[in-house]
Amino acid sequence: MTPSSNPFILADGRKPNCMEMLQLILDGEASAKQQDYFKSHMDTCMPCFKSFHLDMSIKELVKTRCCGDQAPQSLVDQIKMQISQNNPS
Amino acid sequence: MEETPKQHYSEKEKNEVFHGEFLPHISSMYNFGYRLTLDRDDAKDLVQDTYLKAYRFIASFQKGTNAKAWLFRILKNSFINDYRKKTKEPSKVDYQEVETYYNSEEFDRQITPDLRVESLKDMIGDEISNALNSLDVDFRTVIILCDLEGFKYEEMAKILDIPIGTVRSRLHRARNLLKEKLTHYAKSMGYKNV
Repeated sequence: MTPSSNPFILADGRKPNCMEMLQLILDGEASAKQQDYFKSHMDTCMPCFKSFHLDMSIKELVKTRCCGDQAPQSLVDQIKMQISQNNPS
Repeated sequence: MEETPKQHYSEKEKNEVFHGEFLPHISSMYNFGYRLTLDRDDAKDLVQDTYLKAYRFIASFQKGTNAKAWLFRILKNSFINDYRKKTKEPSKVDYQEVETYYNSEEFDRQITPDLRVESLKDMIGDEISNALNSLDVDFRTVIILCDLEGFKYEEMAKILDIPIGTVRSRLHRARNLLKEKLTHYAKSMGYKNV
């Protein structure tokens, strides 16, 4: 693949490094072309292949383990009460 | 967001926006408040304060735009301007210094932990949550916004008042730090080759 066909190349002509490409893929910020490019890039880049799976696992774990609780009902009630007190209709 | 022209809502419309567009995000807001303050009572105060402000300044909110991002921005500002001052908790480190250090090539070379997916799967307790909580608040924040709440870089830039490039680099540094913490946990769990 020639450098000019790399869809990750920035407006200033700089080619992003592996980690920068990986981050865009991971965060769903990559275009369809960039995703295709990265898929074939991973076939030949072992560090990217390993990092992709690790980083994706961490991202998913953070989401499932840290999303936590529902807001307490007492908090919701308190806010509603304050709003209605300030704005009697 | 401030540039939005003032909206004119009737009392009925205000209540519709508040209940229909603001309140549905309260659990995400509460979780964000908790992850920032690391205290459930403080999180409640912060969320309550944010909702009252959101109602007071509802004319600055344009119906149909991203209410969640707007609310998160108010909460983040309340945390910085009110909470941090009130609790007299200074920023633990000089942020500029941190950013310079973390952006250095030396730092990138140091942080290349070869953590394995298998060792992550054994972290079934609070390791992930504790690792996240132990990061400096600015790094913690970008991970919360991106990975927990699914905000796009552009939305994060608006919430945090920083350029998109800074969002990306801060996220990159934050993830490296998180990996470093998780590697440490994995080692303490007995994985030799993490």
